[in-house]
Amino acid sequence: MGDSDRDSGGGQNGNNQNGQSSLSPREQDRFLPIANVSRIMKKALPANAKISKDAKETMQECVSEFISFVTGEASDKCQKEKRKTINGDDLLWAMTTLGFEDYVEPLKVYLQRFREIEGERTGLGRPQTGGEVGEHQRDAVGDGGGFYGGGGGMQYHQHHQFLHQQNHMYGATGGGSDSGGGAASGRTRT
Amino acid sequence: MDQQGQSSAMNYGSNPYQTNAMTTTPTGSDHPAYHQIHQQQQQQLTQQLQSFWETQFKEIEKTTDFKNHSLPLARIKKIMKADEDVRMISAEAPVVFARACEMFILELTLRSWNHTEENKRRTLQKNDIAAAVTRTDIFDFLVDIVPREDLRDEVLGGVGAEAATAAGYPYGYLPPGTAPIGNPGMVMGNPGAYPPNPYMGQPMWQQPGPEQQDPDN
Repeated sequence: MGDSDRDSGGGQNGNNQNGQSSLSPREQDRFLPIANVSRIMKKALPANAKISKDAKETMQECVSEFISFVTGEASDKCQKEKRKTINGDDLLWAMTTLGFEDYVEPLKVYLQRFREIEGERTGLGRPQTGGEVGEHQRDAVGDGGGFYGGGGGMQYHQHHQFLHQQNHMYGATGGGSDSGGGAASGRTRT
Repeated sequence: MDQQGQSSAMNYGSNPYQTNAMTTTPTGSDHPAYHQIHQQQQQQLTQQLQSFWETQFKEIEKTTDFKNHSLPLARIKKIMKADEDVRMISAEAPVVFARACEMFILELTLRSWNHTEENKRRTLQKNDIAAAVTRTDIFDFLVDIVPREDLRDEVLGGVGAEAATAAGYPYGYLPPGTAPIGNPGMVMGNPGAYPPNPYMGQPMWQQPGPEQQDPDN
């Protein structure tokens, strides 16, 4: 199964074995699928516009650089605050710091809606789940929404599930502590 | 005659870069028009970007399905994890990035297309992306990955203009000499070979040429 038009998470079992494009399997994993990138580019252009192959490939590189750029900034912030998990608010903070203020306002709305829908979907009513000691500073992030930090220790089993984007994975994180208390410390999986 | 035409074209193509008082009229007639076109293009881009951000808010408000992203979450997560310092990522982070990357691609493409149109092309090319990167501050972090050849094209364009100016200088010097006094022209010989009327006529016809060609350099 090559680059799917939609979410290709389910098709990533053999990430290291993908070889359907001119890029080597390892190289290909560094970029988002060129078909997805091209489709988005066309949305910004007139109907009769064309896009050269070189431009599509350059855009692939630019997007990966954007992800790494923002992730690096967010990661630095987490380390300073002694937190292990990068969350959505960290990314929004990083984008603001790096000059992408225009992106942050729409994304705040997006993140809020995502959290609302995840809360509904899991049907857990936001019960407290295992929180990490280091996560107690998340209140400082400023967003009143629930926190979806990666549940407890990110064991291989959970990581594997994430690749398939199973409901169970979201269920595990959907119940992020939302109570007044900062550090909710229930079961901690180790 | 063809050679004469070419010389005239080069001469007038370089006029915008000269401050010769004797050629004020031709320069004045060219410069405002070009400047106006450029302004219109920039205004168009600004409007497109405003419309783009408004659309983003509207689309996001309508979003109810977070399962179907335009970009694969697993791949985004893999790119994030390429950084060795990154240990754990919440489930919401790739979701946020999927949307952010879409905005990024749309904005960079819009700005790139602006350059494509300036060059009167219909195919967006790598050097259009390079131009958009150099023109937009928030895209500075991309300078290292934009192919240097494409950046060099931008620079060479400027050099070409300067070269054209230098080459045109000798010709720019002739019209003033020939216009006011006929005798010196006859004495010099070369100006005499180019009667004033045909010389003045052709430049007017040739004016659009250099303007169109310069951006391609």
